[in-house]
Amino acid sequence: MVKGYRPDSLQEALEIKSDHATSIIAGGTDLMVQKARGTGLKPGLKNNPLFISHLPELRKFETSDKFIRIGACLTLSELVEKGELPTPLLNAIDEIASIPLRNIATMGGNICNASPAGDTLPYLYAADARLLLQSIHEERVITLDEFIYGPGQITLESGEILTDIIIDNKAYDFNFYKKVGTSKGMALSKLSFTGLVNFDGDKISEFRAAFGAVGPTVVHSPKIEDKVTGIKIENLSDIAPEIENEYRKIISPIDDSRSTREYRLETSLRIFHNFLEEISNY
Amino acid sequence: MKIEFEINNTQKILEVDPARRLLDILREDLDLTSVKEGCGQGECGACMVLMDDKAVNSCLIPAGNVHGKNITTVEGLRSTEQYKTIEQAFLDAGSVQCGFCTPGMVISAEALLRKNPDPDEDEIKEALEGNLCRCTGYNMIIEGVKLAAERGQGLW
Amino acid sequence: MAKKISDSINRVDGSDKISGRAKYISDVYFKNQYYARTLRSEIAKGRILSIDFPEIPENYFVIDKDDIPGLNQMRTVISDNPIFADNEVNYIGQPILLVVGPDREIIAEIIDQIEVTYQKEKPILTLEEAEQKASLFSDFDYSKGDVENAFNNASQIITDQYETGFQEHIYIEPQGITAVHRDNKMFVFGSMQCPFYIQGALEDVLCWPEDRLRVIHTTTGGAFGGKEEFPSMIACQAAVAALKTGHPVKIIYDRDEDIIASTKRHPSLVKYKAALDKNNKVSALEINVKFNAGAYSGISPVVLERGIFSAANVYNFPNVKVNGKNYQTNSVPCGAFRGFGAPQTIFSMEMFMHNLARKLGQDPLKFKKKHLIKRGDTTSTGGTMHGQVKMPEIIEKITKMSNYEEKFNNLSENRGIGISLFIHGCGFTGDGENNIKGKITLEKKGEQAIVKVSSTDMGQGAETSLRKIVSYTLEIPMEKVIYKKVDTGKVPDSGPTVASRTVMIVGGLLRSAALEMKEKWKQKQSMEISKIYAHPDYLKWDNDTYQGDAYPIYSFGANVVEVEVDPITLELDIQNLYAVYDVGTVIDEKGLRGQMEGGIVQGLGWATTEVMETNQGQLMQSSMTDYKIPTIKDVPEIECDFVTNPYEFGPFGAKCAGELPFNGPAPALAAAVSHALSVPIKKIPLRPENLLKEIKNEN
Repeated sequence: MVKGYRPDSLQEALEIKSDHATSIIAGGTDLMVQKARGTGLKPGLKNNPLFISHLPELRKFETSDKFIRIGACLTLSELVEKGELPTPLLNAIDEIASIPLRNIATMGGNICNASPAGDTLPYLYAADARLLLQSIHEERVITLDEFIYGPGQITLESGEILTDIIIDNKAYDFNFYKKVGTSKGMALSKLSFTGLVNFDGDKISEFRAAFGAVGPTVVHSPKIEDKVTGIKIENLSDIAPEIENEYRKIISPIDDSRSTREYRLETSLRIFHNFLEEISNY
Repeated sequence: MKIEFEINNTQKILEVDPARRLLDILREDLDLTSVKEGCGQGECGACMVLMDDKAVNSCLIPAGNVHGKNITTVEGLRSTEQYKTIEQAFLDAGSVQCGFCTPGMVISAEALLRKNPDPDEDEIKEALEGNLCRCTGYNMIIEGVKLAAERGQGLW
Repeated sequence: MAKKISDSINRVDGSDKISGRAKYISDVYFKNQYYARTLRSEIAKGRILSIDFPEIPENYFVIDKDDIPGLNQMRTVISDNPIFADNEVNYIGQPILLVVGPDREIIAEIIDQIEVTYQKEKPILTLEEAEQKASLFSDFDYSKGDVENAFNNASQIITDQYETGFQEHIYIEPQGITAVHRDNKMFVFGSMQCPFYIQGALEDVLCWPEDRLRVIHTTTGGAFGGKEEFPSMIACQAAVAALKTGHPVKIIYDRDEDIIASTKRHPSLVKYKAALDKNNKVSALEINVKFNAGAYSGISPVVLERGIFSAANVYNFPNVKVNGKNYQTNSVPCGAFRGFGAPQTIFSMEMFMHNLARKLGQDPLKFKKKHLIKRGDTTSTGGTMHGQVKMPEIIEKITKMSNYEEKFNNLSENRGIGISLFIHGCGFTGDGENNIKGKITLEKKGEQAIVKVSSTDMGQGAETSLRKIVSYTLEIPMEKVIYKKVDTGKVPDSGPTVASRTVMIVGGLLRSAALEMKEKWKQKQSMEISKIYAHPDYLKWDNDTYQGDAYPIYSFGANVVEVEVDPITLELDIQNLYAVYDVGTVIDEKGLRGQMEGGIVQGLGWATTEVMETNQGQLMQSSMTDYKIPTIKDVPEIECDFVTNPYEFGPFGAKCAGELPFNGPAPALAAAVSHALSVPIKKIPLRPENLLKEIKNEN
């Protein structure tokens, strides 16, 4: 029989992880599907499972004036219930799958699964979220760009566990979230867009845009965002075509079982265009 | 792996493979066949059970995550007034045809009513979003849940 | 007692199902049972050169074509689909062998280690390729009037074409069968619509007589045609395995396997050539129907027949020439699915008429009304439209209910409203019923009446409806009417549970037997009355020329759908659906509403989110994650009503009902989207991806 590890503390979990090759299971909603082998058969996990979703150290939720620290193993339902998350992140979480799935799925799992269509990711990218990774001997804080480098590909070292997600405790003057799914219920993302804007008088003081499911990782560009920062709201429509064209160059969707390249590209840009229009009308 | 959990008000200790699905533990090890397998991927909801009062897809839960939890299936609800109210409401509203999705619907309805005894139509849809039905077209199921809520005033 | 038949009662099996007490085949365990897993072809076309096996442990078996005592074929209309692949494979997923034994982990290990060496051959993957290569299973024609003459005198000639896609049943209970060899008999239990079909298939494969074969229906969790002929395949495989291993053999499909390997709705391409007379009425129509039947013909000839006999839908065209072809491609074989060929030709006809009206600058509904068939008219197969055609009343009712006229002319941007009119032929196509000669037996035992039929409940409520017919005729309580478990050893063959025939044909026979029994009820403690079905005398049908009455009677319907199209994403928000049906009489309002709404939502799924594409013969959407059926959030407000139009030969006047509601939603929705976007719609599913293309083409 396969051996399973169910440690009582994060410390114990990190020790196990450093000593053995293990497959981390948080909520299990991605792994149990990806590794499913059929009725009555155990999932085809690569290594012995290490269960972490019950660990209290991974289920903390702390807010301060500046930061919100989200335990990686809080379930999505628990996060929605807390209600203290920024609105666009709450909106994104609320449209994931269904209540029963959100009752066991975790944000940590959504991040580590690193699906191009992961629904919590666009906001986290747009809002410069940081990830706290811990191993026995050290901890490090990195950005999502540094953590995810391709579909399902993360720079998690062998002894490390993602323990917390840290976001700024910040509201934006204007936020915009749109997900186009494969159906109205239990929808998987064909594409999604998250837009965050702050104003300073008649100028745009902060501008963030992130596109989901239209590239191997979330598509966002601080360089393009800088072009919009500082612009007067009334001048936004003048530079809109140029900005849209910049994004057109970096959005790189594919044809797959859920949608087509053409639809994803065109619709992302139509949504983005609509986002810019709404800013102009703010 | 040894796991200890509560199932339908009974304490259970089992020695199982740590990744064995809760669905298989319930159906095969404990003979609780109200829990059905429709897809094995968390899409259809036929395997829905209550875990610590919340509706979850048992096909997605490995044994290691069952330890310390409180699990309820329809077998564990049958003797309650709440269940009998739901059953009669489903019958009167025509909420059942082939019946394969129905125990899962009962679980999701029970989870909803425990939290919100007087749900509106949108709240019912939200609660049952993870339960697929191919026979009824859903509206008669929504009516069944509404009827149960109406008749069950004070039960939940 | 004199209760009204249509007044709702609660279904008889509801409590068992809600409580989880009802046992489906996967819930049933037999002593010493073995499990089985199927090894399937990984290529779309080719030969099997060799199969390399690992060491097979004791108590584990490989079952393949060499273990079949009789014929290696699945008996159905055309028995061309082998139980286990011989030396060639013709679609990805085709079954090659079973691995059978007590432990599923070991079975899985063994299967993983089996290596099949193929010689790949070039597959035919699309309808276009099949057409080019004349890869054809069936080619059927019929005609009415003089089409050529009408074209010569036409004011205008219009051509057009329409496409529909695959659909998978996604019954929530996957396919499942258990075969038990016991007492010199083979018992087969499982999820099925037609136990006698399975019995017949076992006869061919085992070469055993009927009385050694017992097929027993277990609670069936949805079917929709997907468990009409396909379970025979699994049953034969399990039976051969049970024979060889000496153990009961249980085969339950995984969902992905079910999607890949079980039958599908035929994708279609329907082409029109229409002649318009000087009044802009259609004077002649040439209709070419092409179905993609997949790798084996199976039941497809009858699907094509119904498709072509329904091609004129609710209209009377004076001159019609219809050709239908089933093409062979190297993809999963297509089979029975609610509607059985009619939804494809009805969608196409409705959208053809809708788009033609638009082209002529006419109101689509008014245009359609000019062509409606009436009682006494000659049908497209040269038969007579017997029975009152209540389309005018249906249209009046639905337009009032939905406020169609006003909305059609006044809806705001991005919103549309569409109407569809549709038909369904009741009972088996052509001379099917006269060939089957369905038989029922009604037995009186003291104060009880026992119903012995082969009709199976798959969710549609057959047991409740049939018991109700007997109960209300004999005027005894429902509890006194017993429904004998459907076991081929214990009930007569009333014919399969298909073609929306259960209430009309089987229920009609029960009604007739019950009426007879009622007269002698008080005199006799026990008696048995059997009835065998035959069509009314006035019906004529020539199966060689396809001339005459293709169906004894028809049910009719209309749907109106309101839709809003998101201008940015082109996602559809279906807001309201109105439906009016003529099914003769309603046998149970609640039961019927369930069938109507279920059929409506399934029809909407076919038209919207149920996308199934193939790539090099591989299904791209092969799991429920990617193949999306409607969820509770995808369903609009539905309002249903009925017009009464009793059929003389149906129980209490009932006609057919189960498949009719599936035919309406797709064309009504397509018409609504066409209205909203001002583009012609010629294809379903109505994916935003395709709508984007339509809009771009229009601009």
